[in-house]
Amino acid sequence: MAAVLKSEARAAVDAAARPNVLEGERVTKRFSETVVALEDATFSVPEGSFVSLVGPSGCGKSTLLRMVAGLIPMTSGTLAVRGEEVKAPRTDVGMMFQKATLLDWRTAVENVLLPTELAGRTTDADRKRAIELLHLVGLEDFEFAFPRQLSGGMQQRVSLARLLQTGADILLLDEPFGALDEFTRERMNIELLRIVDGIGATVLFVTHNIAEAIFLADQVMVMTPRPGRLAKVVDVPFARPREIDLITTAEFNEIVAEVRGILGGH
Amino acid sequence: MTVEATKYVDLGRSAGSAATALRRALIHVAIFVTIITVWEYASHVGHLNPLILPAPSNVAQAMYELYFVTGTIYRHFFVTMYEAVAGFFIGGVIGLSLAVGAALNQTFRRYIAPYAVVFNVTPAIAVTPIIIAWFGFGWSSKIALAALIVFFPVFVNTLSGFLRVNPDAEEMFRSLGASKMRTFFKLMVPDAAPIIMAGFKVGMTGALIGAIVAEFAAASEGIGFLMQRFSFHLDISSSIAVLLSMSIMGLILFTLMEALDATLIFWKRDSRLPAISQKRARRFRKQMTALAAQ
Repeated sequence: MAAVLKSEARAAVDAAARPNVLEGERVTKRFSETVVALEDATFSVPEGSFVSLVGPSGCGKSTLLRMVAGLIPMTSGTLAVRGEEVKAPRTDVGMMFQKATLLDWRTAVENVLLPTELAGRTTDADRKRAIELLHLVGLEDFEFAFPRQLSGGMQQRVSLARLLQTGADILLLDEPFGALDEFTRERMNIELLRIVDGIGATVLFVTHNIAEAIFLADQVMVMTPRPGRLAKVVDVPFARPREIDLITTAEFNEIVAEVRGILGGH
Repeated sequence: MTVEATKYVDLGRSAGSAATALRRALIHVAIFVTIITVWEYASHVGHLNPLILPAPSNVAQAMYELYFVTGTIYRHFFVTMYEAVAGFFIGGVIGLSLAVGAALNQTFRRYIAPYAVVFNVTPAIAVTPIIIAWFGFGWSSKIALAALIVFFPVFVNTLSGFLRVNPDAEEMFRSLGASKMRTFFKLMVPDAAPIIMAGFKVGMTGALIGAIVAEFAAASEGIGFLMQRFSFHLDISSSIAVLLSMSIMGLILFTLMEALDATLIFWKRDSRLPAISQKRARRFRKQMTALAAQ
């Protein structure tokens, strides 16, 4: 487990001292003359921070994530990861999707080892790490289960372990628990926070659930549709680790109201 | 173009207690015995002309002679089986290769498509006389017709399997920076395998039809030839016995394909997963200890 975790906890790092790992300037994506998925988004993400992207369908949040991942090209603007223009998928950027997208013919641990296999040869250390990651996401005793033998929540856990196996420290999560039921999702969110805090990763988390966006994040990028725009970046000042009780506090609900206000104006 | 559905349904089999299974088996036997008895009785009281439809006992007698007295059936049986299987491999390999080419190269796909459509709408059996003219009266013309019939389902299913690879998984592979080669072998091949396998299963049935039809047209051996010889002599009992032998051959080939399917596409069968999961666990642990010992 110790090999998986980086010693530095996020809370200990002063936000102002952290360099930006991700910078976008006037990022624009047009699918055609009339269909503007994202217009003029300018933003920066400091190292080790958790940023939520929230907004209704068609606000360009998934598009933005795919551009950061290097999966689709921009129309105009600049987008840089660690000072380098994004042109193709990078090894320090990893993505997780709403569907677990596991390979049915591979056991859980074989699925987790996929990124390693695609990059080259699999070593003993990789295998050990894959098992450790499965334990980290709470899948002891299911290392050799096939996806069809696992529940939806467990499949997403395998998918998360696979993402961590890439070694990427910039994690792009596209509604990763969107297909799960409310209770499972809540539990998965808390575990996600624990895990990314542990490895000190930078996270971009796409969701259309306002409370979820705020509960998880240091910053919430509020996005509005037609055309997709980054309306405002809202800071979330709560200390970590966070407990689920937070969502019932007045301070929390003030921020919810603020975000709702920004979204409601459009 | 059509694709064979890849739902895995066990025909007529379903879960239930041993008692239910026994009861069902008894009903099956009862129905079969009733049909045979009525047929036999009808023959004996003279309702059926033995030249048109002989009694089951006559068919059984003919079957017995074919298998245990003269033993005529065996040579013909294996000749046809050989033709069908050889045709299956030849047509399968050609169909598979062309489909892989068409799946990976859009230009090739574009220019091969019209020929594939014409090929599909032309009844393959109608090509028999031309095939006989080209390949002669021996085994090769039977193999050729079998291969021709196998080709199309394999080609279509393989191509559509590759073209319908899960787009989410493709994106995931892309985000992991996977090469084309690795994406092909680690994602496309296994993902398309169930549809490809369904094409091969249809092809196997087609191969048998091809071999037998070519034997009808011109042959001096094979189960189709044997059937024709008996029916020309109005020996319907023996003809039906040969027909049953064809069913047996079809059943053997079908069972082989089913077994292959269950082995290769194990992840579609929930009942097989626990055992394979344990096997994979043992293999993984062995790899770990082997590497640790170095």
